[in-house]
Amino acid sequence: MTTTAAHVSNARPLQESGEIRLVDVAKQFGNTYAVQNINLTIPHGSYCCLLGPSGCGKTTILRMIAGHETPSSGEIYIGKDMVVGKAPVERGTAMMFQSYALFPHLSILDNVAFYLKMRNVGKEERRQKALEMLQRVQLDHLKDRMPAQLSGGQQQRVALARSLITNPKVLLLDEPLSALDEFLRLRMRGELKSLQDELGITFVHVTHTQPEAIALADMVVVMDTGRIDQADTANVIFNKPKTPYVARFMGGQNVLTGTVESNSGGVFKLKSADGSTFEAKAGDETASAGSKLSVSVRRDHVALRRGDGTTEVNSIAGVVDATEYQGSYVKVTINTAGGVFVANVSDRAYFAEPVDTGDKVVASWSTEDVHILSKADTGVAGDPYLDGGH
Amino acid sequence: MAASSPSYGPRPWTFYVLAALFALFVIFLYGPMIAVLILSFQGPSASLVFPLRDPSLMWFDELFNPRRTGDVVGAFNRSLPLAVGVMLLTVLISVTAGFAFRRRFKGATAIFYTAIASLIVPGLVLSIGILVTFRYLGWPASWYTSALGAHLSWALPFGLLIMFAILGRLSPSYEEAAYDLGASKWQTVKEVVVPIVFPGMIAVALFGFTLSYDEFPRSWLTVGSKNTLPLEIWTMTTNVTSPALYALGTVTTIVSFLVIALALSSIILIQRKRSRGK
Amino acid sequence: MTSAPTAKRSMLPTYLQVAPLTIVLALFFIVPVALVVVVSFFRYQMLVGIVPDFTLKNYIDLLSNPTTWTLYRSTLKFTLIVLAITFVLGFWIAYFLVFHVRSLLIAIGLFLVCTVPFWTSNIIRMISWRPVLGTEGLINSALLKMGVIDQPLQWLLYSDFSVVVAYVHLFTLFMIVPIFNSMARIDKSLLEAAVDAGATRWGVIWNVVLPLSKTGIALGALFVVTLVMGDFFVVTVMSGGLSGSATSGIFNDLQFLNYPRAAASAVILLIVVLLIAASIFRLVDVRKELVR
Repeated sequence: MTTTAAHVSNARPLQESGEIRLVDVAKQFGNTYAVQNINLTIPHGSYCCLLGPSGCGKTTILRMIAGHETPSSGEIYIGKDMVVGKAPVERGTAMMFQSYALFPHLSILDNVAFYLKMRNVGKEERRQKALEMLQRVQLDHLKDRMPAQLSGGQQQRVALARSLITNPKVLLLDEPLSALDEFLRLRMRGELKSLQDELGITFVHVTHTQPEAIALADMVVVMDTGRIDQADTANVIFNKPKTPYVARFMGGQNVLTGTVESNSGGVFKLKSADGSTFEAKAGDETASAGSKLSVSVRRDHVALRRGDGTTEVNSIAGVVDATEYQGSYVKVTINTAGGVFVANVSDRAYFAEPVDTGDKVVASWSTEDVHILSKADTGVAGDPYLDGGH
Repeated sequence: MAASSPSYGPRPWTFYVLAALFALFVIFLYGPMIAVLILSFQGPSASLVFPLRDPSLMWFDELFNPRRTGDVVGAFNRSLPLAVGVMLLTVLISVTAGFAFRRRFKGATAIFYTAIASLIVPGLVLSIGILVTFRYLGWPASWYTSALGAHLSWALPFGLLIMFAILGRLSPSYEEAAYDLGASKWQTVKEVVVPIVFPGMIAVALFGFTLSYDEFPRSWLTVGSKNTLPLEIWTMTTNVTSPALYALGTVTTIVSFLVIALALSSIILIQRKRSRGK
Repeated sequence: MTSAPTAKRSMLPTYLQVAPLTIVLALFFIVPVALVVVVSFFRYQMLVGIVPDFTLKNYIDLLSNPTTWTLYRSTLKFTLIVLAITFVLGFWIAYFLVFHVRSLLIAIGLFLVCTVPFWTSNIIRMISWRPVLGTEGLINSALLKMGVIDQPLQWLLYSDFSVVVAYVHLFTLFMIVPIFNSMARIDKSLLEAAVDAGATRWGVIWNVVLPLSKTGIALGALFVVTLVMGDFFVVTVMSGGLSGSATSGIFNDLQFLNYPRAAASAVILLIVVLLIAASIFRLVDVRKELVR
């Protein structure tokens, strides 16, 4: 290797883009596809979260970007370069592993200096640079410790320092917070976000926790088994989920399905199988009468009252199955003829008129709060994420 | 990169180089044994080398009707019970000792290092020592006393190391759960611990049996006047110049393989039962 | 060592549990070795036999005898050669099984293929080289047939070469198994992290795999060194009696029932082996690894 120390110390030019583009990427393990038809552009300098249940293929995508897996087909670009077939170190990516993967036989300082050692940087110089990096994560006082002697949070900072010393365009984080306790997780979450702001490089963060994605990401990519369901800002994903799956997975939404009865003045009139009717404002969507349409209604946009049956538009009747106090609101689960419906009632409203298990209630909402989903719900019975989120 | 496993990209060139090395090693390991196996069917030419002429079973026959060969059947009749005895004692002693080592007790380190020392002390040195000890005590050396002890001094440390590996993986919470559910100490061992570590105990048994069955240096001075099988073979290597030697090799190897197959298949059977239900 | 569920229990059951092991080790290891040491200071008198005494004569005899030194040099030579070969073989085979074989089931299967011969008779495995390496053996006849040679190679059997072949054949297993164990415990993401940092294939092996297999290598070396140093039978059979080993002296003295001098030889051998073992233990905390 002819790389000199001088080369290493040169910071990467700022204009070098950390945009990631995946074009028709698929990955096959044996006969099964881990991921398929992946088309995704992650803008330079954004914080992107790949979100999905375990086994959905999000880690596979991360590892293909990192160069630890080779796609079976498709192309991956980082900046202008097609990186498939390139070694990880040539891609300008750095990966932080779920287990942190700190070398157990090397001190903290030598762990951080490892990249420089691989580039044949002299011992003194690489230790100096590694020490500076450790100072940045405020761990320079532990430089001679071995990884096993550190706490989980400290290990993670070391892993971060070790990744950043490569001066990457893209930092890839594989479930970075999953090994930490709740308190540390929240703290590190904040630190990751501010670090990304400070560095201005692209972060790609794999997680299975919705609040983590919503709190961190400029861009959330929601994945279902091997496919991307929706990629957008956290706000859009949460408020305007594209598919019933996303609505359910993100939580906080009720999914309702009905047959279109009429379309007048840009408002669909829908009738569900159990006879309740509701309206939805047609935006760009078109649907002919008689076709099936699914909509979502946010749980906290639902009003609740006692009542036995309803014929009103935008309401549904049922029996309270459970109430769960959540602090600022109460989650009320209602069994309706069409399935489970959830209302998150503010604590004030709830305690003004408390309901209990077995009470007959009517839930209602306004047309403005109904969001049309692009796919009709196929009725995912027993969806484990039916009750996810808050 | 190749070294990082679940990538299904093309295999790196090192894979082919190392696969070739592995194949050569396996040939090196098994080739000579197979040669002996084939030559044990040598015909009356009594040639000790290839080619094989007029294949026959005559050398096996000669083994069991000793004229020129030694007392093979007698040696086998001593080696087998000795191996079984060593096996049983090894399982019993190393399993109980393994459990003791899960707690800290005074002398644990000393006993551990003694066991390791017993493992690495040259067999011949130990052989002399045991012979001298028995002389000093005025006991006659025999395969079922001094040789048994000599074999145990080598099989036990192995058994102990295996038990360490197994018990290290046995989470104490299984036992705690059993106590919580009202099991007595003995019931916990019988109903919970032993079933969990059973495959490991089979491995210990396999080591105990084969280490004894094939042991030579430690048996050499300690068996007394009657030979065990490896000693009989040793004598034959100098006296017998017929394929009967190969036939004997084939027979003992078959016995070893039967024991190995029995042990491994029972371990596999247990594991399968566990993963698929009964 | 894992701590078993403990409230404050009596230690008695624990001591009862180690008692059988301790008794066997005491009776068949500690006492015999101690007696060997004691007897090594005794005197041997023709016709009379062993006479209790405290003399250094046996040791002086041995250490002043150039044959002893020659034998130790020869044994040390074999030990180093066999150590080097078994290490290279053991390391790469374990590396292949752990990092190159993708299916765990196949890796375990191949591992078993390597270990099965361990459980068969050493003497038979030794003898089995005769029809392969002998003057009329497989290799010589193949080479003759191919016309590579026109005289059978004599150095194939009953030579230093065949001794090394037999040692490697018998003892490589003792390298593979502990190295395999060490390597199998290496977290695969460590290798990926090293690759991320720009390590080449060799860089990964040198900086990550090798240091993390250190304990396995040390254990394997411990086995191989003690087995070769303490061997008498392989070297006798495979060299056709031409080469001796450190134990040859013991064998000869035993033939003449000179127990004191045989014991002194044994003590010297024991000290050498223990010194080597101790230096290996100093390099690596083997116990930590074993009990982990």
